[in-house]
Amino acid sequence: MRRYIWGRILRSILSIFLVVTLTIVMIYTNIPRKNVFKNDSNISKLVSRPDDYISYTYNIYDRLGYLDYMTQNDLCRLKAGEQYSSCVQKGSAVYAALQKEYEAKGYTFNLFTTGYGWCSRDFSPFETAWNFFAHLVQVDNPNYVQDEDNPNIERKVYFGTDSNGLPALKCSGCEHKYLIYLNGSFPFIHFNIITLHYGYSFPDYAGQAIEDVISDGQGEYKQSQVTFETGMTSYSAADLHSCRYKATSTLDTLDGKKFNDNYADCTNYFTDPSMVSTSYLFGILSLLLAYIIAVPAGVKMAQKKDKWQDKLGIVYVNIMIAVPSLAFIYFVKLIGNNLFQLPDKFPIYGFGDLRSYILPIVILALLSTSGTMIWLRRFMVDQASSDYVKFAKAKGLSQSEIFRRHILRNAIIPFVNSLPSNIILCISGAVITETVFSIPGMGKMLPDAIKASNNSVIVALTFLFTALSIFSLLLGDILITFVDPRIQLTSKGDSR
Amino acid sequence: MSETVSTAVENPVETPEDENLFVFVPLEAQASEHIAAPNYSYWRSVFRRFFSNKVAIAMLIISGFIIVMSIVQPMFSGYDPSSTPHINEFETHFNWPNATYWFGTDKVGNSLWDVVWAGTRNSLLIAFVATAITTVLGVVVGAFWGYSKKADVVLLEVYNVIYNIPYTLFVMVMMYILGRGIGTLIFTLSCTSWLGTAYFIRVQVMIIRDREYNLASRCLGTSTWNIIKHNVLPFLVSVIVTTVSRDLPSFISYEVFLSYLGIGLTQKTASLGRMIQDYAQYMQSSWYLFWIPVTISALISVSLYIVGQTMADASDPKTHMI
Repeated sequence: MRRYIWGRILRSILSIFLVVTLTIVMIYTNIPRKNVFKNDSNISKLVSRPDDYISYTYNIYDRLGYLDYMTQNDLCRLKAGEQYSSCVQKGSAVYAALQKEYEAKGYTFNLFTTGYGWCSRDFSPFETAWNFFAHLVQVDNPNYVQDEDNPNIERKVYFGTDSNGLPALKCSGCEHKYLIYLNGSFPFIHFNIITLHYGYSFPDYAGQAIEDVISDGQGEYKQSQVTFETGMTSYSAADLHSCRYKATSTLDTLDGKKFNDNYADCTNYFTDPSMVSTSYLFGILSLLLAYIIAVPAGVKMAQKKDKWQDKLGIVYVNIMIAVPSLAFIYFVKLIGNNLFQLPDKFPIYGFGDLRSYILPIVILALLSTSGTMIWLRRFMVDQASSDYVKFAKAKGLSQSEIFRRHILRNAIIPFVNSLPSNIILCISGAVITETVFSIPGMGKMLPDAIKASNNSVIVALTFLFTALSIFSLLLGDILITFVDPRIQLTSKGDSR
Repeated sequence: MSETVSTAVENPVETPEDENLFVFVPLEAQASEHIAAPNYSYWRSVFRRFFSNKVAIAMLIISGFIIVMSIVQPMFSGYDPSSTPHINEFETHFNWPNATYWFGTDKVGNSLWDVVWAGTRNSLLIAFVATAITTVLGVVVGAFWGYSKKADVVLLEVYNVIYNIPYTLFVMVMMYILGRGIGTLIFTLSCTSWLGTAYFIRVQVMIIRDREYNLASRCLGTSTWNIIKHNVLPFLVSVIVTTVSRDLPSFISYEVFLSYLGIGLTQKTASLGRMIQDYAQYMQSSWYLFWIPVTISALISVSLYIVGQTMADASDPKTHMI
């Protein structure tokens, strides 16, 4: 069993790797890289300034993983060492020597109109894929900070308390001040020590890291009374747990008043939840509602097989399967909007109002009821003719007791298999429902990224959704062996 | 009663006259092989069973009407989504359904009647071709998969990798990579879906081929081809029709879904999804523009699904009660 699980995990990682590499290779070879700027408003302003145009476009290509771009200044800083000041001169000999060295590595060299040089080297799609995986997992360590103005920074990891007086694992010299900390919000224990980095988003949310785009709050800043380390209290939205190192040269006087050290780059609290939380909220609530509707309906259908309840249920299931989901969504929305005066767009009342949630959740729940209903009915009807049911009948148990306590428990087992993926994949959001109701969640992200040619977001979402899907299916397979010990994942001998 | 008995007893010896009344019948080899069973034809039973369902007949008429209209009408309407001949005749814009324009007109004066049938044609074309590819490939590979143990090992691994990727994600990313168009949409939709059908057929073949009556047939020396033709295929027909009747609406739904999100077909191609996307903004002002395509898409999906499901039930030999 353990060997099987390790084998499955290994194969899962391999297939994630395969899928993401293929996606990156296909996107980076098939889509012209100019398309990145299709929806960018800045590019048209730069056409008359060729130097700025080149440095703007090449900096963005560099960030998106298309190529490696260096100006003369960057190259000299990287390689020239003590000869830096002579290297950055126009037409310097040191720079010419470096040029020779780098041309051998495949870099092409050019000159700006000002006479200074720049160079670049295109990555092959496989290199881009490699870079994606190489930068994916980032472990925070005390040697992270390299600040010229603060060379004597203490480098250590230690236990301490946070601003609320709770114990926390803190660090000096890392990117984050708090590596592990506790607070009152889900999941209560938070890790900054390991972060996943998916690259940078462009042109939507230009320049932001993708993990921040999906997990940072939305809406207005949520301000409250905050007491900073120095004892200063002010009205602020800063999340003190999220503070990152800020280079000494960029610190301002306000930072100095608030913080004792350089960890002053904090994210803010927002009034509205992040994209992930939004999708998750809708997903979990609709999943609950779907089970509340579908399980009793499926039981009823099996109990009253071939009676009108069963026939009505089958008509409902057939309609749900056949009608395009878009048509169904608009139809329910029309009814809800006209008969119950519910809002037809989420932002009309926003996150604070209960009415915004009713229609999307009901629609999402109804869309997923049909599968559960028809399969539960099928499994229960199959179970109803088995020996233990006849025995229960012979003992004189009532019909409803048999269905509730004997058949349902056996029939529900196959659903355990899909439970983890149903719960986990709520994160990926419901694409159409979120689009129709303009809900700011994850579901809208992929179509929006595709329309804007936001390649790095497409790759990141492919990775995220594939990984979640693969591991939740594995979790479902493991879970089912706990629920039903008769099921074994490994086959011994000839099973055919 | 007693009279006949008495005559038989009275004339125990046959007279020559009686002998002339009878003809000697030799043993007929063919007739002795014949097993007395009612005359049974598979396909006649299928159709008898299908046409006994009145809802299915109604749905067959609806889907037949929509299919014929979507083939015939665009031939005569000459509608082209990229041309706008009435753009300057403002009185033809946003006409409500009337005697001239049966489904009304849109913002550039195109008759919705023309647009609907041109769009339905493309949506149906995509759904039918994608279903055909999925089914043919799925059944052929699935039958092979079910019979060969070596293929089982390889195909199961392939299936596990592809089955793990969310289909919607796959379709959306592939459409982005390959570019938008009818051909790429058909390719993308059927690119991995055949594996699902193949897996389904594999399981069915594995169940059927080891049944006792097939073992008995093999023992009696029936050829493999005859076993497939008489014992396996009749069972597979109903399974195949079931998958077809599920695939058709789902492909229509996918086309509508992708085009609605703006990542399916381009502006140059008319389709149900493109129309719904275009006209969604007029839901309040000219609701007919939005609801007619939505209704057509729902109608065609439901009617095809019900026809397919009834056909699947009818083609299952177990339902042919004689």
